[in-house]
Amino acid sequence: MEYLDLSIKEIHNALIQKVITPLDLVKEAIRRAKANKDNAFEFILEQEAIEEAKKLKEPEKNNLLWGIPFVLKDNFSTKGIQTTASSDILKDYVPVFDATVYQKLKDKKAILIAKATLDELAMGGTGMSGHLGYTFNPYDPTHERMIGGSSCGSAVSVADSIVPFALASDTGDSVRKPASFSGLVGFKPTWGRISRFGLFPFAPSMDHVGYFTRSVFDAAYLLNVLAGYDESDQTSSLVAVPDYTKKLKKDVSGLRVAVIKEIIDSLKDKEVLDAFQKTVSSLKARGIDVHFISLPRKMLESIFPTYFVISCAEATSNNACLDGIKFGSYVDGNSYQEIMNKSRTLGFSNLIRRRFIIGSFSLMKENKEELFLRAQKNRRYIVDTINHVLEEYDAIYVPATPSIAPRFSDSSNKLSPEYLIADNHLAIANLAGLPSITLPIGFENNMPFGANFTAKAFDEETLFQIAHALEDITGYFNLSVRTK
Amino acid sequence: MTMKKIDKEVLKDAARRLMFDMSEEEYDVLLSEFDTFIKQFDIIKENKEALDYEPMTFPFDVHNDMLREDEPSRPLSREEALENAKSKKDGQIKLPKVVG
Repeated sequence: MEYLDLSIKEIHNALIQKVITPLDLVKEAIRRAKANKDNAFEFILEQEAIEEAKKLKEPEKNNLLWGIPFVLKDNFSTKGIQTTASSDILKDYVPVFDATVYQKLKDKKAILIAKATLDELAMGGTGMSGHLGYTFNPYDPTHERMIGGSSCGSAVSVADSIVPFALASDTGDSVRKPASFSGLVGFKPTWGRISRFGLFPFAPSMDHVGYFTRSVFDAAYLLNVLAGYDESDQTSSLVAVPDYTKKLKKDVSGLRVAVIKEIIDSLKDKEVLDAFQKTVSSLKARGIDVHFISLPRKMLESIFPTYFVISCAEATSNNACLDGIKFGSYVDGNSYQEIMNKSRTLGFSNLIRRRFIIGSFSLMKENKEELFLRAQKNRRYIVDTINHVLEEYDAIYVPATPSIAPRFSDSSNKLSPEYLIADNHLAIANLAGLPSITLPIGFENNMPFGANFTAKAFDEETLFQIAHALEDITGYFNLSVRTK
Repeated sequence: MTMKKIDKEVLKDAARRLMFDMSEEEYDVLLSEFDTFIKQFDIIKENKEALDYEPMTFPFDVHNDMLREDEPSRPLSREEALENAKSKKDGQIKLPKVVG
């Protein structure tokens, strides 16, 4: 049964025609999840998913998510289902409420089949730091290459066609970078567009709910379902939610797209560059007005340190609640301080503890002006510069990553332009809260790589429209390791 | 105010305030990470034009002035609130004595 290799829309058609049932789909998804060897899951919810599937009898024609299996990154609260954020400090935690996005998907009768691995507490970009160990890229059977993070398990579950979509979170590029390394559509909306109630906070000024699909249509349709104001999230927006699928096939001629020259110049991989240039020519052939523009190089190099200081500082503060006392791993002691100290020492990995110290150091009163506030000023400088570009253009178009997925053993010079610009520019959309989408544009040594569009705040319609045109150009629709 | 000098004692003080311990080897790793971090941060300092900007706390203001009725919503029951606590007694979280 290969229906899981199809897009949401195609699976829906098969469900409507009753050639398959939700139970068939869920059983196959569970079988594939169990057979997967990439360390993608914290928990597979076999019994629960099968019970839910059995309840679904009559297909709902206007609800594309009816009976569709999906996966959640394990940093979304799921009532009664253990939720660890891939951290030992939460290994016993069972939430008592549902994240709003999970509730919305349940209301649509989509079926959760598993909770996916992530970099611990979503703080990482490699898929190497979760408490279950490395998560691997399904395109590399030798398990030498990463899929990227922090949403590693969610990416695997869609790239291996276990499910047609998976929810995740994106604070720096945690959806859009793994999407590039695994041939997927990876999308995050405007900040405030999707409620974050029930998403474990990492750096709330940059955290977004995002997701992986295998087609632009599916990404647009999911936003129809997930977007909207939520009284439980006071940062969620009241801006009206349109039908995001409506403009997908509209003519793109006359739209204006900017390519940032310095990002292209910081890339070394010829195959990525050639594939990207080819797409630029094809977009121009469709009538899109593509311009190469120049931005200050130092500003682009400062994106990563700006993101790093702000995210570490916010994370330090947000994770102060993880004390082992109210919930999570508890280690006994003779005082509450000793309990907290022991619980936090054993509960967090080395990497997380070091990031917390960097965050705390940036917030110390002697350092705050020079580090944290300086980074916040630089953030506004970057954001104003980018928004100024978007006053003239409908979208910014760039290669999503400098190369195919790196090997776990690869190391990079963290002061080089390739690292600071080519590898980390996607955080622009988090600093500015802009909608952003990655989709595949090529392969090198059988490993995929992608490109990325970023648009104006709340202009997801145009973003999807341009992305849909690119998907049509490349023909990379519904890509997975099973269909490549 | 001059920025604190980065040495092991300062980092140990930060860990103490954050309520966790680290090994000597971890502090050595952290010191080398700080070396890279400060060099990366120096790039921000080169952006002199950024000094004229106000610090940015959120990407943009969310104009959201809807107030709900002043009625409790989604309250957790005592049982739910205590469900994940490992040390509890008589419907409360139990901790070692703080005073006396």
